[in-house]
Amino acid sequence: MARASGDEEALAVAFAAHERWAFARAYREYASLLYSVAYNVLSNSEEAQDCVADAIARLWRSPSAYSSGRGSLRSFLVVCVRNEAISRRRRQSRRLRLEERLAAMPVEHQELEVADPIERDRVRRAFAKLPDDQRAAVALAFYEGKTHTEIASELNAPLGTIKSRISHGLRKIAASLGSEGGER
Amino acid sequence: MTDAHFGERAALYALGALDATESAALEAHLRVCAECAKLVGEAERDVDTIASLETRRRAPEALTNRVERLLAPARQPQAPWRFAAVAAAFLIGILPSAYLWERNRVMQDAMLSQSAAMDRLATTAHRTASFRPAGGALAADVMYPSDGSWYVIVVRGASHALHVAWMHDGAQTMLGDVVPHGRVAMLYLPKSHRMEQLALMDGPRVVAQAQLPY
Repeated sequence: MARASGDEEALAVAFAAHERWAFARAYREYASLLYSVAYNVLSNSEEAQDCVADAIARLWRSPSAYSSGRGSLRSFLVVCVRNEAISRRRRQSRRLRLEERLAAMPVEHQELEVADPIERDRVRRAFAKLPDDQRAAVALAFYEGKTHTEIASELNAPLGTIKSRISHGLRKIAASLGSEGGER
Repeated sequence: MTDAHFGERAALYALGALDATESAALEAHLRVCAECAKLVGEAERDVDTIASLETRRRAPEALTNRVERLLAPARQPQAPWRFAAVAAAFLIGILPSAYLWERNRVMQDAMLSQSAAMDRLATTAHRTASFRPAGGALAADVMYPSDGSWYVIVVRGASHALHVAWMHDGAQTMLGDVVPHGRVAMLYLPKSHRMEQLALMDGPRVVAQAQLPY
């Protein structure tokens, strides 16, 4: 995992201080990433745009949502947008099947910025390294946006067990991706 | 809230696996508990690592305009007689300033990318391969290390932006654009794998290709 540069740290501090320029700069810096994160959950451009705009608006109205002690501003924004997208998808009850997401190929070529099959394959390999029970729990959360209660019910396992499987599985995937030396 | 299981709740939050009520309660707690905020921050990094490797799309212009409007300072109501004065000021000063501001922003982004590229070139052993142009006065090179972890593409003599594509297995994967600032255009591409053939494209047309030996 790359260490935050001086610029990123300065931006994070200004963002935490609710500086208007920092919000604008953070959006510009991560616009495509945030839009992609929303699109990859919602599979619809207009809904993804609504999602990103609403997430930024919500943060702008909540001055203390982020503190620089929390860690990476970029990761914070990714999770904010992603959680907003998952909430929208739950409300719409539009769920994508796990197999479809793992096998999905880009269809809107004119919108593509990066569609790198090797990067996608790295994620597949990282998931494949997990024990079956952890892989199923993390995949249901990450790709299908299910809550831990729904996952426990679907996998017929106690809630505490599901929490552990997700927590350990997530750590292992991130460690596996990090150890392959890729950059973001 | 820092009990033995908080780490697990942090992962659930970062993955979006808490329901709305649980998420709202946790977010409220994070505003006052630095210890828990740090745990969640670590889980957010893990999720970011995975999410960043999914297919990337360019943010639509409409979204960018919408967010910029959202973050713009609120306007104060103006007396009608001020309209003419504001219009005059706009034409005389603000319009050129806005143009320069936008240009400055684009230049700043380009400089940040250029700075990262220069850092790589100065600190890492690398190879250089030249693009073979299909015609015209285009001259371009690509610098890259033997592990394929980054690529710097430099183009001279381009009058407008060109696409950079990775040619592989009979397919083209678009990687980004080289945009001229002055006489030189540069693109820095962090990657995690070797690419053996790159192309510069003007729209759908390949204008130059490079073979990258390792």
